[in-house]
Amino acid sequence: VPVLGIGHGNTLLTDLYNCHLTKAYTVGGLFGKATDDFSDTGKLVEKTTFDHITREKLERILAVIQGTNHKALLMHSNIDMKTQEAYELAVKGLIRPMGKSPPIITAIRCLQFAPPEFQLEIHCLHETQQYLRKVVHEVGLELKSSAVCTQVRRIRDGVFTLDDALLRTQWNLQSIQNAIWDCQLKVRTELEKTLGCQDENLLQKMDVEVAHAADS
Amino acid sequence: KISSAACGYGFTLLSSTTTDITKVWGMGLNKDSQLGFQRSRRDRTKGYEYVLEPSPIPLPLEKPQQTRVLQVSCGRAHSLILTDSEGVFTMGNNSYGQCGRKVVEDETYSESHLIHQLKEFDSRVVQVVCGQDHSLFRTKNGAVYACGWGADGQTGLGHYNITSVPTKLRGDIAGVNIIQISSYGDCCLAVSDEGDIFGWGNSEYLQLASVTETTQVNVPRHLPFKIGKIKEAACGGTGNVALTEEGNVFVWGYGILGKGPNLIETAVPEMIPPSLFGWSDFNPDIRVAHVRCGLSQFAALTNRGELFVWGKNLRGCLGTGRKEDQYFPWRVTVPGEVVDVACGVDHMVSMVKSF
Repeated sequence: VPVLGIGHGNTLLTDLYNCHLTKAYTVGGLFGKATDDFSDTGKLVEKTTFDHITREKLERILAVIQGTNHKALLMHSNIDMKTQEAYELAVKGLIRPMGKSPPIITAIRCLQFAPPEFQLEIHCLHETQQYLRKVVHEVGLELKSSAVCTQVRRIRDGVFTLDDALLRTQWNLQSIQNAIWDCQLKVRTELEKTLGCQDENLLQKMDVEVAHAADS
Repeated sequence: KISSAACGYGFTLLSSTTTDITKVWGMGLNKDSQLGFQRSRRDRTKGYEYVLEPSPIPLPLEKPQQTRVLQVSCGRAHSLILTDSEGVFTMGNNSYGQCGRKVVEDETYSESHLIHQLKEFDSRVVQVVCGQDHSLFRTKNGAVYACGWGADGQTGLGHYNITSVPTKLRGDIAGVNIIQISSYGDCCLAVSDEGDIFGWGNSEYLQLASVTETTQVNVPRHLPFKIGKIKEAACGGTGNVALTEEGNVFVWGYGILGKGPNLIETAVPEMIPPSLFGWSDFNPDIRVAHVRCGLSQFAALTNRGELFVWGKNLRGCLGTGRKEDQYFPWRVTVPGEVVDVACGVDHMVSMVKSF
């Protein structure tokens, strides 16, 4: 799911970027091998057994990863933990770093487990592809084995999910226009929620621009 | 393998269900012999007042190779050790009869060898709890006994005097099958098998204000909370926490209760949003499994083995890596699955299973 902005939609892209919304990926992995760049096409570095790995163990490791990242999340979001505001945000799950930060995983879970293959769903912020591959590698290490990443697929970018994405066969004007209209509401709500009441002007401007983009 | 841990006011007890000779270890303050007599290596006639590493506590057991220690509990300056077949052993300060034996005037508690054994209950004791200067015992038949200081009514025996022999409580819990009791300061809570909660003792901090305006309650009273069936409750110094069958956590009392800095006191339980314990649409199966209380801290364990803490962070006892107080539940990073946690005044001990 790569997101494209058309015409005036480009300015919206900057605003969405400032929301620092999470992206979701499905990451495929393979136990038993370790390579230098963590993917299955890299140079083989090590081979290990993986019969001892069970789904339960994998899930426990994932829970730890989620937990430590949760802490990093709060560290980088620069919120004073002693305020009522911090409490309100924590309850809504809105505490996120609103500036530059190292990659942080907000949620991770196992979708499929068929040793040696497994698939994870990862929701994260400020990530790079290499970081995701490294996560797979580290999961392998924690389970006292090794793993390489076989596939990385973005299934969500902020508010845009697979369902919103247009297939190659749908790359025509009518579908694009419809897609823009459909997403309008979602984009607006998310911008409102995160950037808050800071910018009434911004929202109005945004409405105008979306309308423009849809008509042109 | 350690099966039970308890934190007192400046000391800790650890116990195992082993049949080896040594079943209980203690460390910390020993000025009142709450850790038994720890023979000094330099002078064999003297005992240590401070124990710096977990040291065996010798118990006068009749069958040391058969009896198992089930649980330990620590108060301000006394300890209770529960065994499966030889009753309860008590040691430490007895100025208020909290060790279940007659108060001896001018008794010196330091470097004492005296460990008292309590066997006279209606049925086998299954849980022991230490308050600040009193002791509570729960038996298999669902009865609760108490002894020790009673000035706040924490012995629940209908008076405000000290009691030096464990005596059965009546009041609203007479005839009720109690399945869990808790105390740490001067307030006490008990949960019945039907999910009702009863309280007695100190109520200066609104702990029992839902049933009475008096600041001391000396008879167990039923607390008519409409929050669902209660599974477990824990009592702190000024705040209390209850866990319902649905897995929701409710807090009331005074202090840092866990709902941000604005909630300082409430007489009626308020629920802590489950999202703070990791529950979300993404993880809908997360539930809080246990709740524990220190003097001014709270701890919650989820069914995924995660530990969340909140409250005053005296000397870093919350384990969050920061020195500030924590106003809402915060996850503690532990390298393993947390099985149980014991909270003290300014320290915490958790039992963890490695991955």
